[in-house]
Amino acid sequence: MSQALREFLLKKAKLESLFKWGVRWSLWPVHLVTSCCGVEVAHTSGPGFDAERWGVLPFHTMRQSNVLLVEGTITRKMAKVLKQVYEQMPEPKYVIAMGACAVRGGLFWNSYHVVQVDTVVPVDVYISGCPPTPEAVIRAFMMVHNKIKGKPGPYVEPVKVDLTPFLPPPPKPPAKPAPQQAQQAPAA
Amino acid sequence: MAAKFPPKCPPQGDHPLLEKVKQTFGGAVLNHGVTPEGHLCVLVPPDKIRDVAAAVKNMGFDHVLSLSAVDYAAEGRFMVTYIFASYLTPELRSQLLHIRAEIPRDNPKIASIADIYPSADYEERECHEMFGIWFEGNPHMGKRFILDPDCCVDEKTGKPLYPLRKDYKVPDWGLTG
Repeated sequence: MSQALREFLLKKAKLESLFKWGVRWSLWPVHLVTSCCGVEVAHTSGPGFDAERWGVLPFHTMRQSNVLLVEGTITRKMAKVLKQVYEQMPEPKYVIAMGACAVRGGLFWNSYHVVQVDTVVPVDVYISGCPPTPEAVIRAFMMVHNKIKGKPGPYVEPVKVDLTPFLPPPPKPPAKPAPQQAQQAPAA
Repeated sequence: MAAKFPPKCPPQGDHPLLEKVKQTFGGAVLNHGVTPEGHLCVLVPPDKIRDVAAAVKNMGFDHVLSLSAVDYAAEGRFMVTYIFASYLTPELRSQLLHIRAEIPRDNPKIASIADIYPSADYEERECHEMFGIWFEGNPHMGKRFILDPDCCVDEKTGKPLYPLRKDYKVPDWGLTG
């Protein structure tokens, strides 16, 4: 798509919301599995959690995908690979740093050979944990959703359930003693 | 120099491998101990390590499981640790043989056993890269093997630094704050 056609579709035809909607539900992550966090991503895409319900389809090349999921420790040699992978991805692209190693160095925080991910590529979402659970990975994709929508942050609506008809009634507060009697007792 | 083994490795006279080791090594056994797992540790002089490796190969140990070093910075020595194991000899499959040799820290040189045991080649290269021990006879000494070429280099002199030595200081890359 040429740049002029793209601008026409986004500005004149006002298809930007449709464009964002399409990007939001087709976040295809490319895996950069350098540590054990890849096991949790396998669970995320497996039948138990099934992240494809939200459009998260694990894909095998970086040239057709738009989310870079960094799963694990990035050493100084692997940082060059990370930079190459990031530069090969088409726009728009998002980066998720998964796990304690990718966020802050993790177990290897004072190592001679480990770098932080955000010193190499810009990171959109961090996931804490060692390793994070599949729910946390899905939640990170929800945060990318919110970022595309224009309100970044871990905004998750709580599910409110009214349980009062099924619970026992709350205990009544104990009756307060009359203040006048308490004052009269030491005087007498 | 009879080095002290750790207190968890006391000498044990009736270890099944000890007699055979003393026969095959000749006078090269300086000291011995037994690890808590029951494996025999033997301390040998560093100039006889090639003879010892050939003798170990004749005993039936067919590969080097591990080759590493321990940095005793306060005492000024490295202890190079070889661990031999066997796939092909059935009665040795339950045994590991630890061979240790002590070399001075200011001139760390020891003969390479990579031509006797080809599986020791990568281990020697990594040990050279991490500790700066020069294995004489290995053609890959002085090159980078695993580390990034840009890291662990002294910025003023351009000489390589060895990151697993006790006196190595990790540079501040913003990770420590």
